[in-house]
Amino acid sequence: MKPQVAFFDFTSCEGCQLNKLNFENDLLDILKHVDIVEFREAMDDKADHYDIAFIEGSITSPSCVERIHDIRRRSDILVALGSCAVNGGVNAMKNLHPIDEVRETVYGDDKYLFATLPAMAVSSVVKVDYEVRGCPMTQQDFLKLLIALVLGKQPPKYGSPVCVECKLKENECLYNRGMVCLGPITRGGCDAVCPSFGQFCTGCRGILDNPNIDGMLEVMTSHGISLDEAKKRMLLYNSNEVQL
Amino acid sequence: MKRLQDVEHHETEDLYYPTMCKVTGAKQITEMEKWYELEMPEGQSLGHGPGQFVEVSAFGIGEAPISISSSPSKNGKFELCIRQVGTLTNVLKNYETGDMMGIRGPFGKGFPMEKLFGKDILVVAGGIGLVPLRSLINYVLDNRKDFGRLIILYGAKTPSELLFTDELETWKDRDDVELHVTVDQPDETWKGNTGVITTLIPSLDLKLNTTIAAITGPPVMYKFVVMSLKSKQLPDDQIYLSLERRMKCGVGKCGHCQINGVYCCQDGPVFNYVDIKPLEEAL
Amino acid sequence: MECFSLLRSDVPALIDHLRDFGEVIAPHGKGDVSYSFEVVRDSSDVVLDYNRTLLPLKKMFLPPVEKLMGFSLKNESFEQVEVAIAPRVFFGVHSYEMQSILRLDHSMLSGSAESNYFKRRQSSRFLGISFEPDEFHFSESVGIVIEEMEGFDLFLNEVDGDFQLYVLTDNGQEMLNGFDKINLTEPEIVEGRHFKKKIRYHYNRLPRVFQYAYHSDVWADVASRCVGCGACTLTCPTCFCFDVHDHVEVTAEDGMRQRSWDSCMLSTFAEVAGGENFREKTINRTRHRLFRKFKYITDEEGLPWCVGCGRCTAFCPAGISMPDIVNELIQEDEKAQYHRTVRV
Ligand SMILES: Cc1cc2nc3c(=O)[nH]c(=O)nc-3n(C[C@H](O)[C@H](O)[C@H](O)COP(=O)(O)OP(=O)(O)OC[C@H]3O[C@@H](n4cnc5c(N)ncnc54)[C@H](O)[C@@H]3O)c2cc1C
Ligand code: SF4
Ligand code: SF4
Ligand code: FES
Repeated sequence: MKPQVAFFDFTSCEGCQLNKLNFENDLLDILKHVDIVEFREAMDDKADHYDIAFIEGSITSPSCVERIHDIRRRSDILVALGSCAVNGGVNAMKNLHPIDEVRETVYGDDKYLFATLPAMAVSSVVKVDYEVRGCPMTQQDFLKLLIALVLGKQPPKYGSPVCVECKLKENECLYNRGMVCLGPITRGGCDAVCPSFGQFCTGCRGILDNPNIDGMLEVMTSHGISLDEAKKRMLLYNSNEVQL
Repeated sequence: MKRLQDVEHHETEDLYYPTMCKVTGAKQITEMEKWYELEMPEGQSLGHGPGQFVEVSAFGIGEAPISISSSPSKNGKFELCIRQVGTLTNVLKNYETGDMMGIRGPFGKGFPMEKLFGKDILVVAGGIGLVPLRSLINYVLDNRKDFGRLIILYGAKTPSELLFTDELETWKDRDDVELHVTVDQPDETWKGNTGVITTLIPSLDLKLNTTIAAITGPPVMYKFVVMSLKSKQLPDDQIYLSLERRMKCGVGKCGHCQINGVYCCQDGPVFNYVDIKPLEEAL
Repeated sequence: MECFSLLRSDVPALIDHLRDFGEVIAPHGKGDVSYSFEVVRDSSDVVLDYNRTLLPLKKMFLPPVEKLMGFSLKNESFEQVEVAIAPRVFFGVHSYEMQSILRLDHSMLSGSAESNYFKRRQSSRFLGISFEPDEFHFSESVGIVIEEMEGFDLFLNEVDGDFQLYVLTDNGQEMLNGFDKINLTEPEIVEGRHFKKKIRYHYNRLPRVFQYAYHSDVWADVASRCVGCGACTLTCPTCFCFDVHDHVEVTAEDGMRQRSWDSCMLSTFAEVAGGENFREKTINRTRHRLFRKFKYITDEEGLPWCVGCGRCTAFCPAGISMPDIVNELIQEDEKAQYHRTVRV
């Protein structure tokens, strides 16, 4: 029997879901391997058990916590999709401010009507088996994971920086064009898609293990941005991962 | 320096194509390790020496270096024993008799058997280190009169992690084998030695001029075993170690296995201690 | 050896002429300020004055990503890859680049001689060109002058804006047959092209410096600035490390085994299953990189394995300079020697 898979979304822009629906060419191939039993934006089925649950978005409220526990209980394999789910992503920027301030800014006088928590990675609430990083995640990367799971193989883990793929494509380094890029310390696997289109890397796939943060700040500031700006850029997707 | 004009076309090799070998036997022997017997396509022999390794592959999954565990004296077939620790090894877990495995090799330098003939052989195996050393042990046993004493020290974390327990029993029963087994964490049924493998060394009675030590184990083990052997005054050049490094190609090209300037896959994995002593990255 | 004069304006005609001998590959502009070797479509696109290409010419013999075999998961079988042996002419190559190819030959062909590399390397012809060193080139310090012609069939030496064309081999001679825009001339020595960057010692003194450099404090300083991006090694013309991985199509039926350039500067390079990392710290990796260039292979082959192209320095986002590291090691060694002598 084909594995039963489901997609769930929490706090995110749902960019990752849309990305999946763009598959068109590949969707039929995917459906050869798996049965999609729950897909919030595509169909209404519900099931008691999932072989693979794909989770999008970060955990930001007590009800999210309850729901993710419930999904985890019903799933054999749980995969976090996209940077919100993997490490809190952009949502986690709010964690840099006192939670009350955040509620006030977002909800104004109604702030006490809405329970909110710091934006958390799914993995800080339940066990996450695998992850697909990126904001949004790329189709390619998602497919790699899916194929790996179908083959019974561990999905790829990316331990090299974006610069590696950037170099292999022989891109002109954006530092040579006077830009400041996070490629050197950002987890690769995206095929350096942003630098390839002249857009500097914003770190959406997370920071590598054991990064040289001071060294990176020095690189950034010596290429013309202020220390403040450099830190802000580093935190954009990685407030939960980097201590500055 | 090798130059292009020094090389003839026929001297070049297709280095990365595997030979598809049929699995003729497979058995999960511990919780983490599975044993396999394989056969070359035309039943030819693999042509390895004790201590050499092959690159094992499964299409779509990847490749990994694995020691050859059987003795070259075993004809027609060869054996592997693989611990399930990562991508490929966990997929190989599902391989059974009849499946096909990709094999490249044998690669690397094994034990220099010509230097071992006539000598007392002291085997020091930590954990999965018994896998390559089993090839040496069985070779010695198959050619028993060509060697002096055979002393085997074998350490595992727990009794349930001991490999090749049937063979351990036969070795124990032979009076031309001195087998000492120890575990770090005994369970209720364990009656043997406890403690790390180095605890077995002090009480050994070695003939220093004729003993050759062969060591394989986890990275942390080497330093301590070598220290213990040195405190027994065993000369450096009588110590051989089989080292593990990350490997990709197995043929001295990909650079992954370097230990300072030497290639573990070509100059090793079995090294004489004298040759690696000066290498800071070795032990 | 014959020498001809050639007008700069006639170079495109020469390139067009060379296309009779195979695909011509030459430097082209890339991005705002960079260059790369590309197959020539229009000879007027070829750049004659360039500092260095982003990726070295190595990419034409050992491609950044290369299919090693195709496979079918269903049939548990693989398909060999045919490596085409088409004749190619490499135009406008700098002397250090040619020297890097000669070193790469050694790396790929000694021990087990790799057929993929050999096939690509066969039937290639090289036309060299002189260059004006910028602030990063230091090849003279590793024994390679601008006019070093070893390995070339033809060489263009710029003299007052135009060129002198040296014919160095029979192949070179053959390539000029029927090309009439050249005139026999006397070779001239060009003055005034100087390397701005230098290693302070002659390269034959470096093995001794490196013999004592293993525990130098210099490594820690470099490691504190290095962000571990791998750019230095990925753009190096004599680096050849690679990784191998399997790629499977969405059908989960077919796929291919590929190799791609890897870098010993990446933290995962020497990591094995279970988490043991044999070169865990940046210090270990930086040192390994430099020792690979100036000690390990050099001890055996008698040549530095660095050709002074300056890529690792020019493309390092942290501005870490290879020759500066070597000079610091030299300085440290001098100090240590001084202290040794004073004590005696
Ligand atoms: C000479 C030699 C002999 C070995 N003999 C055996 C043996 O007989 N039995 C056994 O169970 N194991 C052996 N190993 C270890 C075995 O190679 C690794 O456990 C295996 O590579 C893990 O692969 P993986 O794909 O499951 O793990 P991953 O962590 O997914 O590894 C991915 C890749 O990294 C490389 N790699 C990872 N770990 C190692 C490692 N320890 N050594 C070398 N390359 C590595 C391989 O190319 C591997 O395919 C040996 C290693 C070496 C160097
Ligand atoms: S553009 Fe960014 S990712 Fe590409 S090499 Fe430069 S720093 Fe690295
Ligand atoms: S290019 Fe510079 S920062 Fe990047 S790994 Fe090399 S030395 Fe380190
Ligand atoms: S494993 Fe590739 S060089 Fe040794």
